[in-house]
Amino acid sequence: MMQGPAGPSNTVETTAPVLGIGAVGKRFGATRVLQNFTLEVAEGEIVTLLGPSGCGKTTLLRCVAGFWEPNGGTIEIDGQDIVDVPVNRRPVGVVFQSYALFPHLTVARNVGYALRMRNRPRAEVAQRVASVLETVSLTGFENRYPSQLSGGQQQRVAIARVLVMEPRVLLLDEPFNALDAKLRGAMQVELRQLIKRLGLTSIFVTHDQEEALTMSDRIAVMSGGKIEQVASPDEIFDRPATAYVADFIGVSNFWETQAETGHVRLPDGQTVMTDLTGGVKVMTRPHNLRLGPPEAGPWKGTVSFHRNVGPLIEYHVEASDGNVIRVSAMRQERDRPVKDRSQVSLSVIDPASCSVYPG
Amino acid sequence: MKWFRGRSLVDVVGIGLVLAVAVFSLVLLVAPSIIVVVISFDTRAYVTFPPAGFTLRWYKAVFEHGELVEAMLNSLQVGLTVTVLCIVLGVPTALACVRGRFRGTTALSVFVLVPHMVPGIVLGVAVLFAGALVGVSPSIWLQSISITVFIVAVMVRTVQSRLMRLDPALEEAAANLRATPFQSLRTVTFPLLMPAILAGAVFTFVEGFDNLSVAIFTHGFRDRPLPVELLALVQYTSSPIVAAVSGVQIVLAIAALVVVSTSIGLDKVNE
Repeated sequence: MMQGPAGPSNTVETTAPVLGIGAVGKRFGATRVLQNFTLEVAEGEIVTLLGPSGCGKTTLLRCVAGFWEPNGGTIEIDGQDIVDVPVNRRPVGVVFQSYALFPHLTVARNVGYALRMRNRPRAEVAQRVASVLETVSLTGFENRYPSQLSGGQQQRVAIARVLVMEPRVLLLDEPFNALDAKLRGAMQVELRQLIKRLGLTSIFVTHDQEEALTMSDRIAVMSGGKIEQVASPDEIFDRPATAYVADFIGVSNFWETQAETGHVRLPDGQTVMTDLTGGVKVMTRPHNLRLGPPEAGPWKGTVSFHRNVGPLIEYHVEASDGNVIRVSAMRQERDRPVKDRSQVSLSVIDPASCSVYPG
Repeated sequence: MKWFRGRSLVDVVGIGLVLAVAVFSLVLLVAPSIIVVVISFDTRAYVTFPPAGFTLRWYKAVFEHGELVEAMLNSLQVGLTVTVLCIVLGVPTALACVRGRFRGTTALSVFVLVPHMVPGIVLGVAVLFAGALVGVSPSIWLQSISITVFIVAVMVRTVQSRLMRLDPALEEAAANLRATPFQSLRTVTFPLLMPAILAGAVFTFVEGFDNLSVAIFTHGFRDRPLPVELLALVQYTSSPIVAAVSGVQIVLAIAALVVVSTSIGLDKVNE
């Protein structure tokens, strides 16, 4: 079943959006990096812009921050257009990919920077810096320099430095790139919990789907300067609106076939309803497929490879129609995995969970 | 001592070359300086080696030689003027070349280099003739300005290379954190450029103090700088007083190095 690009999902849109981006375009010379980009972000919501490099996600973030000026369109915060507002007057806080901590200033002076630029009284600066450092658990690090901190601590300073301004919108530009893989997972959970606790409206930019699935209330999957789909992580994963989204997120099996009136016949004989006609692409996830003994069904194949992925076993099956189909099964301790080169049959567990796209 | 074990041929040759250059520089730079210093303590009134005895009378003579003292003060003034002018002109030029968003930033950064490519003598003669055409006669100010034109490229390049290695996100972060463009310059860009500006200041001061090729054509008739005075001195005398002046300069150079290395660190000068 196919859905159009999903609108805002269940959790949002009861009040006016905090951030409204309307028909924003951006060109560099002849290259259109953003085209007619429209997105609304509700109070306290974390929306992720997900896509490969060059898809325009960072460009959009830089337009919202004010580092670049869009060629047309509106960017509104609380209903006020900010396109003409200079960078240093916009109520947004940016966490940079490199963190951009000031190397010549201590943690406390980095964090208090925005307040000093606004000439806040010393006592207020000291008090607010102390309170923000406590929020990010960096109390006691006031007099360190950025070079004396670990990657994770540097990231927390970068966050504290923008939190102290109490921005309306938080912009995070691939903030986990500089961390090693082991730390990333933990920091993702920590950062999401922190942002949700503070109720900050956020835009998070990444090319990493796992980060996007962890961090987001909604994900906007981007390609070529346009949004392919905006929806909750579950919906993006279970109901990808286009073949591009399905391919970009998670592992997917595609096969091409012909639609008959009102439905598509799957290789195992079951049918999926569709409005499409002619050539179509059918997609399903590895966990919606099951292996059986070779005589159990018409869709036959040979196991070409298998591996343990923690609690799952992942199989590659060379189907008789030539496709390589990926199947994953929960690993039970007593079962023996199906051996490589075994003859098997494939079946779809829930045909309604298959997606059908124009071919 | 099998230090070359496990190293590639390129490494071995590289280390060898570095050692050779180091030894060569030591011999060429340090040995003459030592000889000059030794001669400056010689008791005899003409330049010989090895010395016959030890005396401080040549140093006393330097400071009693009114023209030499005046020349030193003149050169000090030129050095400081050149340094200030190079900072005032060079730092904004470097900023414009690297961060500027207008056309011709590349042309500008090449253009600044041109006077430094011209031999100093040519530049000196050109300034002298051009000055005569418009009625500007040689003076300590003409000399300072000419040397600034000659050496400002060093300041621009030093600051430029540091600036190019600064993360542009630092200035964006400052702007995002409510800094006006001026506040961003004052609190982020300048402090981070300071090591490069200081390094550039040391180079330009030394050039202002020490330059002969430009100075010889542009200096004021009554304001002879030290290199010109020394040249005259060695032309007409061969007493160790010249060696004593060199001794004073060597002490000053070492003092400058000590000041730089203790205040900002020599490693940062190279950054």
